[in-house]
Amino acid sequence: MSSSTILAKTSSDPTGQVSTSGLVWEMARRDILTLFRTPWIIISRSMAFVIQLFVFAYFISGMVVYPNFFQYYAVGSVVAMVASISFIIGYDIFEEAEEGLLDYLLTLPVSRRQFIIGRALGGAIRSMIYIIPMFVIVAVLEHFANPLSILAAVLDLFLLAFGVTGLSITMAVTVRSANRFDVTLALLDLAVTRISVALYPLTYLPNYVRLIAPYSPVTFASISVHDALIGTSLNATSLAGLLAFVAIFLVLGATIYFRRLEGGVYG
Amino acid sequence: MSSAGLVVRVVERDIRILFSDSFLVGIMFANFCVDLFVTAATFSNLISSSYFLRIAPGSNFITAMVAAFQSGRDVWREKYIKDLASYLFTLPVPRRLFAASRIAGGVVRSVIATFPGTLVIAYLYGILFSPLLIEAYLIVGLFSLGIVGLSMAVSAFASSIEVFATVRSAIQLYLSFLSTIFYDASVFPAVVQPIVETNPMTWAMNAFRSLPGPGSALNSIAILTVPSLAFAALGMICYLWYAKL
Repeated sequence: MSSSTILAKTSSDPTGQVSTSGLVWEMARRDILTLFRTPWIIISRSMAFVIQLFVFAYFISGMVVYPNFFQYYAVGSVVAMVASISFIIGYDIFEEAEEGLLDYLLTLPVSRRQFIIGRALGGAIRSMIYIIPMFVIVAVLEHFANPLSILAAVLDLFLLAFGVTGLSITMAVTVRSANRFDVTLALLDLAVTRISVALYPLTYLPNYVRLIAPYSPVTFASISVHDALIGTSLNATSLAGLLAFVAIFLVLGATIYFRRLEGGVYG
Repeated sequence: MSSAGLVVRVVERDIRILFSDSFLVGIMFANFCVDLFVTAATFSNLISSSYFLRIAPGSNFITAMVAAFQSGRDVWREKYIKDLASYLFTLPVPRRLFAASRIAGGVVRSVIATFPGTLVIAYLYGILFSPLLIEAYLIVGLFSLGIVGLSMAVSAFASSIEVFATVRSAIQLYLSFLSTIFYDASVFPAVVQPIVETNPMTWAMNAFRSLPGPGSALNSIAILTVPSLAFAALGMICYLWYAKL
């Protein structure tokens, strides 16, 4: 469904008034539908997850000294994958600007504020839709059955997705060249997941990485998810760190996006 | 102009494209550093200190792979985004020579992108000030030749950037995880072992690991040459084929 169809439906309200939340949701819905129109992305990331888990993690687990490394890696790979898939919104925004579609989107009867919050929300929701099958695979493999623990883990993953979406939007509107954007986002994706405790425990990271890793948003999410699923407890410190990350990058992404679009005018 | 002169011109154009944004080369080196000094270093803590040296060349080959696919991506962009393909084929260069030069350009770009990484690995392997350093670059170049060929073949058939990125991702997964970067071929089930043993990454890794050893690495290098030339030929055929469309 095209964005014009979405908004035409929305504006068919008899009073002609559409609520703010309705418009935000329509923007988010457009991004969710975009993901399903590009199944190649889903295919490639799913392939990466399956091979990493069932080939790499399986064989490496037999070689490492850490007990039950497969479980640690399986949970961490879901967290890392959420971060990775959340970066994709940046590619969409970059392409829209390059192809001229952004100009059209800005003519839609949606305020800039609703536009940006809707896009960040859409990016986060579609990451969650995408990650659910992988989360289910890991939950079944590792026998995670406590509904409250699962709910807490999903909340952590959603917060991470929301924050990374903001970070990705920030990059998309900051970097100008397509090639540069492609490799920068790939590096950022690699750095935020590797310089964290998502895939490897903190004590085994090199000393210089151990200094930075505890402050990574992926670390906050990873600790919180591990605690929820394996320890069945809520890690308030990690949750607070995750919330701070979301707040910072959502505001930063939105501000820079506004500046690029409107020269600083907040609509 | 002689054929060699024409090849140099085309290769020079590709190198200029690479350096039109030298930031890209820096980012690729940063990627290599994360792979080596974060991931490989972590594995050496998790497994054993010797494991670091075992997987270190893999970080460099992964960078070579990324750089090689960047060449294919540029060819794809020339065709679908910049609409330059028709113009390039009107240049006074025979098509076969042009296609071969594009592949050569991709290899040179890849070797340039991995130049500092190869030095780092050579230092770790204790061959930095030895003639074996030339063999190290030869291995990286041969490996890149195969991957540039593959990326050119993919760029000829990919109708959208998403398809290109997906096929690239699949090939990268195959090269990284179904090879001997992280583990021996013997850990795989018997059915999968032939796939791992015929992986160009496996041959490149074997060749690099054998460099500081007592025997010559030339045998391993010769083995790597076969798939690299085959993939390069495939890339060239696909590039020429799509030029006719």
